Amino acid sequence: MDLLDFARGPALQWAAYILVAGTIWRIVGITLLKEKPDYSEPRKSAGYPAALKVIWTRAFTAEPFAKATLYPKMMAYVMHIGLFAVIFLFTPHIVFFEGWTGLDWPGLPNSVIFFLGVATVVSAVALLVRRLTNPVLKLISNFDDYFSWFVSTLPVVTGLLIPVRVGLRYEDLLAVHILSVALLLIWLPFGKLGHTFLVFVTRGTTGMVFERRGAKT
Amino acid sequence: MTTVDGRHELDREAERLAYKPPEIRHDKQGDMESEERINKAMHHFVKNFNTQTASYLDGCLHCGMCADACHFHVRTDDPRYTPIWKIELFKRTYKRQVGPFAFFYRLLGLKRHVTIEDLEEWQHLLYDSCTVCGRCSLVCPMGIDVAGLISMARHGMFKAGLIPEELHDVAKRAAETGSPLGITPDKFEDRVEWMADEHDVEIPMDVEQADVLAVMSSIEIQKYPQSIAATAKILNAAGESWTFRTDGFEATNFGMLSGNPDWQKEATMKLIDAAIKIGAKMIVLPECGHAYMALRWMGANMYGKPLPFKVYHISEYMADALNTGKIKVKKVEKSVTYHDPCQVSRRGGATQAARDVIKHLGVDFREMEYGGDYNWCCGGGGGVVTIKRADPLRHRVFKLKMDQVEKTEADELLSSCANCRQSFDDSQQHFNWDYTMGSLMEMVAENLEEDNS
Amino acid sequence: MKNKPTVGEILQAKGVSRRGFLKYCATTASLLALPPAMIPRIAKAIESARRPSVIWLSFQECTGCTESLTRSAAPTVEGLIFDAISLDYHHTLQAASGEQAEAARHAAMEENEGGYLVLVDGSIPMGNPGFSTIAGISNHDMLMETVAGAAAVVSIGTCAAFGGIPGANPNPTGAVAVQDLVKDKPIINVPGCPPIPMVMTAVLTQFLTFGQLPEVDKFGRPLAFFGQTIHDRCYRRPFYEQGKFANTFDDEGAKAGWCLYKLGCKGPTTYNACATAKWNQGTSFPIESGHPCLGCSEPGFWDKGGFYEPLSTGKFGSGAKVAGAAAAGVALGVAAAAAGRSRQAKFTKEG
Repeated sequence: MDLLDFARGPALQWAAYILVAGTIWRIVGITLLKEKPDYSEPRKSAGYPAALKVIWTRAFTAEPFAKATLYPKMMAYVMHIGLFAVIFLFTPHIVFFEGWTGLDWPGLPNSVIFFLGVATVVSAVALLVRRLTNPVLKLISNFDDYFSWFVSTLPVVTGLLIPVRVGLRYEDLLAVHILSVALLLIWLPFGKLGHTFLVFVTRGTTGMVFERRGAKT
Repeated sequence: MTTVDGRHELDREAERLAYKPPEIRHDKQGDMESEERINKAMHHFVKNFNTQTASYLDGCLHCGMCADACHFHVRTDDPRYTPIWKIELFKRTYKRQVGPFAFFYRLLGLKRHVTIEDLEEWQHLLYDSCTVCGRCSLVCPMGIDVAGLISMARHGMFKAGLIPEELHDVAKRAAETGSPLGITPDKFEDRVEWMADEHDVEIPMDVEQADVLAVMSSIEIQKYPQSIAATAKILNAAGESWTFRTDGFEATNFGMLSGNPDWQKEATMKLIDAAIKIGAKMIVLPECGHAYMALRWMGANMYGKPLPFKVYHISEYMADALNTGKIKVKKVEKSVTYHDPCQVSRRGGATQAARDVIKHLGVDFREMEYGGDYNWCCGGGGGVVTIKRADPLRHRVFKLKMDQVEKTEADELLSSCANCRQSFDDSQQHFNWDYTMGSLMEMVAENLEEDNS
Repeated sequence: MKNKPTVGEILQAKGVSRRGFLKYCATTASLLALPPAMIPRIAKAIESARRPSVIWLSFQECTGCTESLTRSAAPTVEGLIFDAISLDYHHTLQAASGEQAEAARHAAMEENEGGYLVLVDGSIPMGNPGFSTIAGISNHDMLMETVAGAAAVVSIGTCAAFGGIPGANPNPTGAVAVQDLVKDKPIINVPGCPPIPMVMTAVLTQFLTFGQLPEVDKFGRPLAFFGQTIHDRCYRRPFYEQGKFANTFDDEGAKAGWCLYKLGCKGPTTYNACATAKWNQGTSFPIESGHPCLGCSEPGFWDKGGFYEPLSTGKFGSGAKVAGAAAAGVALGVAAAAAGRSRQAKFTKEG
């Protein structure tokens, strides 16, 4: 079994098992803790619509805070949107998802994807530099922050190297890329990358609690 | 108004603060060993880790945006005042003790156990530099209610005997005498009589049965007693069947502010019991911010079931009364700006009420830039105004308020919280500032249309 | 032993014009990426080469490799050269058979000891020597015996080079490649199922011209022909880059000649000259005809997922296994929450 077969086979399989098990473990571990009942009289009814509202609105910063947080916010948007585009709008990836889910959708031309991939890496590096130099971030950052940055940026970099080739063989670069994705999937449920699924819980909870009070969300 | 001290000519254009960082004191209560303090802190942190809190503590991304919303950080650039950093010990304990991976955190030493040095250092962060204003909760992209977590973290600090001494004194006095300023039922009764006399207004006291139980805050009773008369005038004008009660008159809740849930419950239950005793349909809370949070949103949970009566902040009551025509006010020819108390507006959801009242007053209303739900905190809430050693820090952040108010060029500055009023008064004196905070309720009381009483 | 004729003499005798011969040399030079100045040298080398002795062994094979070489509409120079140089022994093509054929093989081996080339097509079954025999001799024995005095071995086709189709899962005959058995002789692998004829002769031509074996990649394949992937030389590559893919074999995209990646093309991971040299004297190659590349020059190509499964299809393992992982997650989560709650209860009691 060569490196590519290993990457596409056992590596990705085990990464998938760990991803599924870890995610469910974390979600169940949190949601099965004690519930805090609220007996206060609600000002407004606030069920799941309130949760959905805040899940959407917190993606945007309120005007009073926007200027102070503009730079990191923009960089984070570029990074996330770039990541979304290169993962979900690159045809070989779409084919991957199709094999798994049966769904197909149109992709973007490779040159556009490449540009977006570069933009993603540039914004990721900009954010890392900020994390290393900004006093607030320097104080509050830990291993999780840096390692999560590494495992999310590595697949984009290794993916970009494939068309660039850098003198190595396609299948070796592809294998390294797939292994870096496996690493990302393995780490995802455990560190702050868990925000992938936790964001719905935290924003939704706040939406329900504060909408119930008629307070600003 | 105040006079300028001739010896120190005030340069109004200068940067208003020569900032001296607060003195570092590690106050301790009781004589527990460090080991026991650590355990107490940990146990009482852990008590708070329900599924909602857990998701918040697990969801932080260390993005640092909360720092940009916090007045303490914005005015000092001290990274330790990053709101989520104030929560660090609480978060660390969660991950080690109750989180989904707690076993591995402990086994592999992935997070350190909290030390006594940590707890001592964090006293300043959890008390001196947080007013629980909630701006951080609004900016967090994960929607984490950071301010709420601060209140919970204080439980651990209190039980560990590691809270600022001044705050502890005030809270203890409140627990022992029923009032943070030591106002006994007798003293309350005296001042009510005095106000009834002075302002020539009927003030029912200890009535057996009434629809409305009115309560006051000690700050008002002691420092702004005219509030008692103003409250009475408004409730009388509205034709309410109401009363004050000597067995339940204190709206403030220093148990909540200091982090002692037992004292918090005691204070709340006094009000609930009194209201039930007289068969009240509603409690009208005074101009106090955290009193609203303590009773309106946390009261029923202290009680363990829904409250059998409604709870209104006085601004809500006035808005409702004005909107339904129960009371009428004369037009006031002034320009006015309004400072929203954090616990009533942003955290409490009653932002609109004050604006309804202001509309009825017919003033030229000038909304502050980023007023309303995004308002800058007065800097004195959450018990901070009680903590004398934090004064330099509180004065430092007050510049935000001064700029915000001055920009409106309004004649009058109003608010609906006596603690904010106290903070503003203190800072006004410190800075020789032009503006004095007035009370929304007093303005309504002074301008009531007579034909309704 | 009478002097063997040179290749040049043989070609002349068969009526190949000087012009035609030089044209062949020029084509070969360009295939080998040699400068035009080398053409005369190639010409001289081939012309004057004494008919080298070549022994061709056919084992577990379908004869496709031989067919590829010899079945052309019109006789090609390649074919002729092979006529000329090979076939001291080629058990499919030779006239003789049986013991006479074996005698011919032994004679060639003795006469040219240390100097003959062994060309092999087909894999060698190790499961049971009886699975494939020639004249009662097992493939393994014949191979080892024949290569003993060889100058070099050329594995023609994927079966000989890597085990090929017989070696595919579950490999019932225990088929192995030449390089798995022969350890002490230089081996060139010329894989493909079948290999491109031009490639086969170019390798031999290089040997004849330079007396050396070509530079090879990590799989022993001549870099000149196996140094680039199909993907990197495919004329449909622009469509890949633009995101224009055929989704089925007869949709608009397919008819317009768009990229076949989504239909399972293994071009990106397949090294061969098909996209440039093509087949049938440059007529076409599978992709040009509308069928995705199978990756037939790669080791184990038969077992690398389906031919119609795109390269980037994941293999997540069975749904059952993923469900198992989910169940494990639930169990761990419940355990963690229970532990958390019990710690809470304990601390609440302790106060």
